[in-house]
Amino acid sequence: MNGGSRHFIAAAALIALAAPAAAQDWDAISMPQPSAEEWAAIAELPDLSGTWSPDIRDQFAQMETNPPPWLLHIQEQVDYLYAEEAAGRPKGLFIDCLPHGSPSLMAVTHNAIEFLVTPGRVTVLGESDGNRIRRIWTDGRDMPDDPDPSFDGYSVGHWDGDTLVIETTAILPQVYLAISEAVGIPNNGGMTVSERIHLLEPDLMAVDMVVNAPEILAGPWETRRLFHRRRQRSHEIEQGVCRRGDFIEVEDEWGNAAWAPATQDGMGNLLPDDLFDDLPEDE
Amino acid sequence: MKRLALGLFAAAACLTLPASAHHSFAMFDSSQTRTITGTVVQFRWSNPHVALFVQEEGTSGRSGVWAIELTSPGNLRRLGWSRTTLKPDDRIAVQMNPMRDGRRGGGFRQVTLLESGESYTASLIDIERNN
Repeated sequence: MNGGSRHFIAAAALIALAAPAAAQDWDAISMPQPSAEEWAAIAELPDLSGTWSPDIRDQFAQMETNPPPWLLHIQEQVDYLYAEEAAGRPKGLFIDCLPHGSPSLMAVTHNAIEFLVTPGRVTVLGESDGNRIRRIWTDGRDMPDDPDPSFDGYSVGHWDGDTLVIETTAILPQVYLAISEAVGIPNNGGMTVSERIHLLEPDLMAVDMVVNAPEILAGPWETRRLFHRRRQRSHEIEQGVCRRGDFIEVEDEWGNAAWAPATQDGMGNLLPDDLFDDLPEDE
Repeated sequence: MKRLALGLFAAAACLTLPASAHHSFAMFDSSQTRTITGTVVQFRWSNPHVALFVQEEGTSGRSGVWAIELTSPGNLRRLGWSRTTLKPDDRIAVQMNPMRDGRRGGGFRQVTLLESGESYTASLIDIERNN
């Protein structure tokens, strides 16, 4: 985008004027107000509006046919997790309600996502809760030298024709490289994700990913995830707060509507005990 | 909207992909299907999983309540559900995969409102089919 170049040049000029003492003087870089031309230029990009639901059948097919190239000692852990799941004891990778992180938000989510394309940035919003947000900077910036690690990492992107190209680094080491909601291994540091997001059909999106995770993979893992677009209002993303499942509705001592911790089993399921404590145990 | 006639029970039961949006459904035994008849005690329209609590017919008290787990409200809405699809005191027949450890819980498969005959499923792959 032209706007991205303008942002970059403005930022570079500011950096040049700034004192060089700090490796990254973040305060010296500011985002110019987007111009009308930059807003108009978005209309020339592929239309990513609407609600994108993951192709669940394809997710499962990928699990079967294209597993990550786990290091041998990591494969032992993966085999153990599969065996536990087969025995009815799945490890709940996400029952703590922490964000999926990258690349799992795109790879194993069972909920819809949406894209907001604005000057210098693409934002991916997930449905599971307010923490499923990815900010992808398309303003021409370079990857920072040492960004703070986060669940989704630091993402810099650009448009290569009709394809959104994204590089992501600085992903927290605890973030799983997950292939399902029960099988995944913490990346243990150094994981990077390259993505190419493009439309295969008007309402079919491909997310082509290359994951490098040197602590757990023997080599790059190339995989694709598919998303289907819906425009019906019934498909719109709604706020879904993951941790709400950890609470039940009660009244406080003043009669106000309030929350109280719920009783769950170890797998995140609500149990009837404190929901229906007005019912006798048995009659 | 997935309002299925009773005759489609068998076809719907063949859909074995989980309804989860948060955790694996492997604690439920997908090789077994159980149908219970009872009365809705509570229908919790809440993330990450909607939960249905049913007092099984012929029982009373907490020990006769089944806890049945569904997918998220957003996914259910895409399948034609709403937070008022099931209401307390509704008489239902609900089909589920029971918990492997024998507790009164299950992974949802299908529900039929006995008064109206309306049925609902919650398989995520049906979202893809709703083109």
